[in-house]
Amino acid sequence: MKNAKHDNNQKFPKLGQWLTWVDKPGSVNKILIGLGLVCFILLCFDFFYPKHGHFDVENIRGFYSLYGFIAFTAVVFLAMFLRTIIIRKPDYYSSKDVNSEKYPTDGLGQVDQDD
Amino acid sequence: MIELIPTSFIFFAMAGVLVCVPHGIMRGALLLATPLIAGLHIWLIGFGNFWPYEIFGFDLELMRVDRLSRIFVIIFCLASFLGNMFAWHLRDTTQQVAALLYAGSAIGAALSGDLISLFFYWEGTALASVFLIWARGTEGAYHTGMRYLIVQIGSGVILIAGVAVFYRETGIVSFDKMTLGSLGTWLIFISFGIKCAFPLMHNWLQDSYPAATVTGTVILSAFTTKMAIYALARGFAGTEILIYIGTIMTLFPIFFAEIENDMRRVLSYSLNNQLGFMVVAIGIGSELALNGMAGHAFAHILYKALLFMSVGAVLYRTGTAKASELGGLYRTMPLTAIFCLIGAASISAFPLLSGFVTKSLTLSSVAEEHRTIIWLALVFASAGVLSHSGIKIPFFTFFGHDSGKRPAEAPRHMLIAMGITSLLCILIGVFPSIFYQILPYDTSYVPYTFDHVLGQLQLLFFALLAFAILYRFGLHPSEIDSTNIDTDVIYRKWMPSLLGLLILALSRLYLRILIKISYLIKYAYRKLNETHGPKSARVTGYPSSVMVINITVLFAIALIVIFAS
Repeated sequence: MKNAKHDNNQKFPKLGQWLTWVDKPGSVNKILIGLGLVCFILLCFDFFYPKHGHFDVENIRGFYSLYGFIAFTAVVFLAMFLRTIIIRKPDYYSSKDVNSEKYPTDGLGQVDQDD
Repeated sequence: MIELIPTSFIFFAMAGVLVCVPHGIMRGALLLATPLIAGLHIWLIGFGNFWPYEIFGFDLELMRVDRLSRIFVIIFCLASFLGNMFAWHLRDTTQQVAALLYAGSAIGAALSGDLISLFFYWEGTALASVFLIWARGTEGAYHTGMRYLIVQIGSGVILIAGVAVFYRETGIVSFDKMTLGSLGTWLIFISFGIKCAFPLMHNWLQDSYPAATVTGTVILSAFTTKMAIYALARGFAGTEILIYIGTIMTLFPIFFAEIENDMRRVLSYSLNNQLGFMVVAIGIGSELALNGMAGHAFAHILYKALLFMSVGAVLYRTGTAKASELGGLYRTMPLTAIFCLIGAASISAFPLLSGFVTKSLTLSSVAEEHRTIIWLALVFASAGVLSHSGIKIPFFTFFGHDSGKRPAEAPRHMLIAMGITSLLCILIGVFPSIFYQILPYDTSYVPYTFDHVLGQLQLLFFALLAFAILYRFGLHPSEIDSTNIDTDVIYRKWMPSLLGLLILALSRLYLRILIKISYLIKYAYRKLNETHGPKSARVTGYPSSVMVINITVLFAIALIVIFAS
């Protein structure tokens, strides 16, 4: 595989060239600000539009926003805790295990962009 | 004319024909035509029971077409078509035949009107599908395939045992709604549960699917588990315990998926989580819930296949599906990346995509039953889905840190397969009312209410925000090349270790007993030697003439006794 430092962006597919915008300096911040704005607007709706949910909790202002944020964070932290218990070496079961072996090359079509 | 052959037999017949056709366009066309013909067949044949026949006094029914079975057969045909399209480049007769037999068996199971033919198709899926794992051709795949086969055949054996007991209890073999309670129904329930990957019976799935070939996993992901979902829905709809089993199924895999490194295993955990939603819907059992189950199964097969295809295409081009070795592939595989994003957004249930219009049926049915805790758990699980399938898969494969890999875009046939699947995900999401017409029950459900869309968008965007913040601060779990143990550690490590210890202990015990016995023998020999040996006091103390006299006396007494008597 080619080293990224010797990239020639012109060789990428058109769509790929266009997408490299996300790697330009400052783009990530723009995406984050955009995301924050969308979240803010979505949250604002809760204060102008009364919900008619099945459950009482649904009608609490900002319920979905808060629940989504907390649920995601909880998943991440619980998973990281779980990892400390269940993590093992890649060849824990066997050196010939699916997890530790290479995928056989005859079943692949490994072609590089430049090839 | 059309009733001449059951739908599943179309696949079996074509699998036979396939062997005679040379590799290339002809064979590829045959592989694509078979599911299309079968789909057309099931659509045109109409509802009703076809192909009844009697064997050993049992009334069997090979074709029961109603709205519940039809939607599963249609999606199985569609999945088979898309899977075969994705595998167009393949020049492996074994895999091609296995793919057809596998799809045919799953379709046969969905159409079985009785438990005995269900059993044969049930085992058929196990036998056909294992070749998709073995086709990888490595030692690891061979062992994984054996484990997979043991579990799958085991499920079949439990099924036929359950059917036999159930027949003794009730005298019927037709496959209809059952009530959990007797031994027979419990056995059948457990057998379904194994293939459905119930908690603690689930690990065959995450063990085997990542071990299959690039194309094999795409095909595997569609059939076995959804066949089990269908069987549960047919046999045990409205069974309360399923609600709790399903809820646990939606929850526990998300944590495992979050830290798993192999992307195809992440998707297998995610598959397990999606099955949970369907199992909850079956447990609820209302018309709305069963519509949710069937619709979700339909949409899920598509977006899950799409995700497996995109990761498969990456594996095909780079030789790895491990998150720790991937990243930044969007530059040279932009189309695959976009298809992956569509699949990821569909599974996360973004509005205008298939997951939204199908999962909401299930969530609404839970709401209608006023089960607050279950509902909260399912919404929590929905945020979890976003974390591993919605973000982790596309982000760490195509974006994230740059791996430096610059593979070429996926082959054209793979792009076409992913393109069609993406289009279907979008069409279902945009035109739900048309899609709802093939659901098991008539419905006037409207998924796009302002409340619902707003709530879902808030949930998803704030979860995304959480990801952005956690990732920015380096709090997101990093990608580590590792093995994460699950229940398979019990039979892959602990039980063999325990057996090893037991054998060691037994052999030590045996050795000790042997040593003790040899000591005893030596002791007895030494003691006898002391008392009766050539140097013992008894021998040296008496001259041999005394012995001669003794014997003479003994003989004389014997003579007198014999003479007298």
